[in-house]
Amino acid sequence: MNSNPLNIFVLFVAITAAQVLICNHILLFGVAVPLLSVYFIIRMPMSMKVSLLLTLSFLLGLAIDIWSDTPGLNALACTLVAGIKRPALYAYVQRDDRVKETIPNIATLGLGTYCKYMLTMVGIYAFLVFSIEYFSFADVKEIVILTLCSSLLTFLLLLGLDSLITVRRH
Amino acid sequence: MRNLLNFLMRYSTWFVFAFYVLVSLVLLFSFNTYQGAVYLTSANAVTSAINESTSDVTGYFNLRTVNEQLQARNAALESRILNLNNEIKHLQTLIDDTVRYAGLPPRFDFETAYVINNSTRHPRNYFTINRGRLDGIEPGMGVVDQNGVVGIVNVCGKHTARVVSVLTKDQHFSVKIKGTAFVGSLTWKENDPQTAWVEEIPRHSRYRVGDTIVTSGFSTTFPEGIPVGTIMSQVRSNDNNFFTLKIRLGSDFAHLGTVRVLKDELKTELDSLRTFDRKDD
Repeated sequence: MNSNPLNIFVLFVAITAAQVLICNHILLFGVAVPLLSVYFIIRMPMSMKVSLLLTLSFLLGLAIDIWSDTPGLNALACTLVAGIKRPALYAYVQRDDRVKETIPNIATLGLGTYCKYMLTMVGIYAFLVFSIEYFSFADVKEIVILTLCSSLLTFLLLLGLDSLITVRRH
Repeated sequence: MRNLLNFLMRYSTWFVFAFYVLVSLVLLFSFNTYQGAVYLTSANAVTSAINESTSDVTGYFNLRTVNEQLQARNAALESRILNLNNEIKHLQTLIDDTVRYAGLPPRFDFETAYVINNSTRHPRNYFTINRGRLDGIEPGMGVVDQNGVVGIVNVCGKHTARVVSVLTKDQHFSVKIKGTAFVGSLTWKENDPQTAWVEEIPRHSRYRVGDTIVTSGFSTTFPEGIPVGTIMSQVRSNDNNFFTLKIRLGSDFAHLGTVRVLKDELKTELDSLRTFDRKDD
């Protein structure tokens, strides 16, 4: 995946389709939902303008919302996660010119850093999605369980997906 | 002016961020009350076209189970027809010299539809059907499948409609224990598409585990006696005068296929009576 607009468009469509046609219908052990959509935000190049990233993330969330009948839910969660993408990455790497030009993946960041970055993004996204969806302190237990289990499932899924993409490229 | 432009340019990212957050919040909080916005639901043209083609493929997956359920239902209906025919014959011989009872005109008509998009994992679940306004579907109509009640039509597109599933928190359906007059309120609470709760059942009512819960018929949405589920157990209620029942839902919400939308022929008449009452107040 590079910063070519066509590639970004293909990733956008593929992620939306996979989320709404497959992942939306999965609820593993009654507690884990694969939240594939965050992968799009994770993999956007660091050189991309923040306003463009916010716009694309908002549109991705909105597209998923329209399909899933959850108006505003994913749009809000995606916009907020896009907003914290840079701080999340800079929490684990030095802020230098080399990082500014990278596309976050295992090859550019190294397995350890990439996993920490991905886990942070996935965890925050899952927490936002379930907090907005339940929107009540009465359901804190459910929100925490769903967040933890879904983050883990999504993390493993994305790691697998990343390995597949890397293997194909090599 | 230049300062203002500089300021706007400098903080443009924050403005973009705030704008999208604001739009999302507006959608989140105002959308559910704004029923006219069909294009922002799964009942819009593009979404439903793609959903329909997907369901053309996935629709074959559960045909075996659906077929078995339909055969069982068919057998039950056939035996009921036989029994009713016998009863009619018996009554005709008894009262041959009196005026024949012509029966009431049928109040509920139905339209068969196919579920093209479905969800069961959210706190508020919806599914989309491939019939819409042009097929006579209107918001507020009840939807049932071969196993019982599944939802109420919420938003109508031209050829598709979105249905609020029984699996929706804060949505209540009037139900009763079959064969009795003990009415309660059906609601769904947990992340389990197979169980629901019937609240506000009077304390003096009698029931057994396994008894059927059916619709009460106190609305124009569902006629009386449509099955909803069976009683699993009783749970403690906050109010001492009532108790709550845990029930197993009859329909398999994860695999909804063919459903029927119920049209109440008396709906307009009953609604106009209600408006008349209100005017009178």
